[in-house]
Amino acid sequence: MSAPKIRLDSVSKSFGGSVVAVDKLSLDIRDGEFLAIVGPSGCGKTTVLNMLAGLEPATSGTMALNGKPIEGPGAERGVMFQDYALFPWRTVRGNVEFGLVYGPAGNGLSPAERTERVERTIEMVGLKGSQDKYPHQLSGGMRQRVALARLMASEPEILLMDEPLAALDAQTRVILQDELLRIWGQDRPASERRTVVFITHAIDEAVFLADRVAVLSSHPGRLKQIVDIDLPRPRGDATRRSGDFARLCQSIWELIREEAYRATMN
Amino acid sequence: MSAVSLTGAKAAGSTRFGGALVYLRTMALFVLAWYVGSLFVPSKLLLPSPLAVAAALRDTALNGELFGNALISLARLLASLLAAAAIAVPLGLLMGRSRLWNDLLELPVEMLRPIAGIAWIPLALYLFGIGHRLPLFIMFYTAFFPLLVGTAAGAAAVDKRLIAAARTMGLSGPTIMRRVIVPAALPAILVSARLAVAASWTAVVAAELVGAPNGLGYAIEYYRSMLSTPTVMAFIVTIGVLGFLTDKGLRQLSKVLTPWAQTGAAR
Repeated sequence: MSAPKIRLDSVSKSFGGSVVAVDKLSLDIRDGEFLAIVGPSGCGKTTVLNMLAGLEPATSGTMALNGKPIEGPGAERGVMFQDYALFPWRTVRGNVEFGLVYGPAGNGLSPAERTERVERTIEMVGLKGSQDKYPHQLSGGMRQRVALARLMASEPEILLMDEPLAALDAQTRVILQDELLRIWGQDRPASERRTVVFITHAIDEAVFLADRVAVLSSHPGRLKQIVDIDLPRPRGDATRRSGDFARLCQSIWELIREEAYRATMN
Repeated sequence: MSAVSLTGAKAAGSTRFGGALVYLRTMALFVLAWYVGSLFVPSKLLLPSPLAVAAALRDTALNGELFGNALISLARLLASLLAAAAIAVPLGLLMGRSRLWNDLLELPVEMLRPIAGIAWIPLALYLFGIGHRLPLFIMFYTAFFPLLVGTAAGAAAVDKRLIAAARTMGLSGPTIMRRVIVPAALPAILVSARLAVAASWTAVVAAELVGAPNGLGYAIEYYRSMLSTPTVMAFIVTIGVLGFLTDKGLRQLSKVLTPWAQTGAAR
C-alpha cells in the first residue's frame, strides 16, 4: 500500500472549549479513492470537511496532505458546498471560470486553453446553452451542476464535497449520482481518478458512490468503523438493485441505527 | 432580495404605461387640491395658485435662470457625491471587513453622523466664505455618512460561504476583496447612494440659501427677498422633480449594474 494521500492523526475539534465536535479522529485517505463519510446529524461530518479544506483549524492532532501539514485552504483541494455557494452576480460561465481566472488554478493556461476548459466542463455537466444565465434563473439541480462544474474546472487533486446532493429531489439525485461517478472517472483505471471525500447522511448514496465508507458516531464525532464497498465498477442501476448493495446499506444502518433513533427521539 | 427597492414590490401586473398613469393621476389630484386651496387663501404671497407657479416656471425656463441654476446645483450634487463615494466606499469596505478599522473609526463616525450637515454652515462660512466650496463641503458631509455606514453594513453582511468558496480556490485577500466582497456588497452600496442623494438634495438648498451666489437654493432665497412667491414655488417644484429624477436614475443604474439582485430574483 502506498503512502496515504491525506492522513488524519488523532484530530479533535472543539468549539468554545466545551463542545467537542470531532474526537480523536484518525483516518487515512488513499490516492484516487472515493471515500464517503456518513453519520447521524451532530457527528461532525461538515467540521471534518472544513478542516480538510483548511477553513477551520483542528484543536489538536495533525492533518497532512502528501506528507505536508494542512495549514489553510489551497487550490489543490477543491470544495463543493452543501448549498453550492455560487456567486450570484456571475453567470454560469462566470462561476465556472472563477477559480481559473482569479486563483492559481489557471496559472500557465493561455486564455484560449482556459476558455476551452471552461466550455468543456460546462458541457460535461450538461449546462451547454445556459452559460449566460445567472444562478437565480436556474433550478436547484442546475445550480448543483454549476457548483460541480466550478469544482471540476480547477482540476483539483482532491475533491471535498459536503452533502452536494442533499437539496435535490429523489430523481435528480439518482441521475446526478450516476453523472458524478462518470465525471470522477469510474470507467477509467484507478490511477487516473481523483481523490474524493464525500459527506452525506444518506447511507444508500454513500454505498453506491464510494470505495470505502467511514461511519462516524455523534456527540462527540468519533470514527466508528470503515466499511469497504467492494461492489464492482462501473456502477449503475443494476448496482442499486443488487442484493450486495442492500446488504451493505443494511449493515451500515445497523451501525448507526441506535444513535439515529436517539437523535430523533430526543 | 428586496434590498434594492426602498418602496417595496411593484403592484402586480403594472406596466410602464400603467405606472405613468398612476403618477399622472396622483399629480393631478395634488395640483387640483392645491388650486382649490389657493382660492381660499386671501394673499397670493402666502399660497400662489398652480397657474401662477406654472407661469413662473415658464418665464424662468425661457430666460435660462431655471436651467442655469438647476445645472449648477446638479453639478455640485454630483461632484460632492462622487468625492464622498471615493472616500466612504473604500473606508466602509475596510470597516465592514476589518475589526481593527471598525474599532478605530466607529466612535468618531457615530459621533459625527448624527450632526446634520447644515449644522456646519456657520463654521463653513468662516472657512470657505460664499462660493462653490461651502455647498460642496456641506453636501459632501451629508452624502458621506449614509455611504460609509451602508457600505460597511453591506460588506459585513457578505455571505460567509462565498468568501469560504473563494478561499478554497486559493484567492488572495485583496483578490477576494475585489472579486467577492465588492460585488456582493454592491447592491447595499447602491441603496446607500440613493439615501445619500436624497439627503444631499435637502442639504443643497440649505447650503446655497446662505453660502452660494447661485444655484437653486440661492434662487429661492433671492426671489423670497423679491416677494415673488410663484417663482420661489417654481424653484421648489424643480428641486422635487430633480430629486425624483436622480433617484430614478440611480434605481436604473442598480438595475444595470446588479441585475441579479433585483426584486423577485431569489438567490
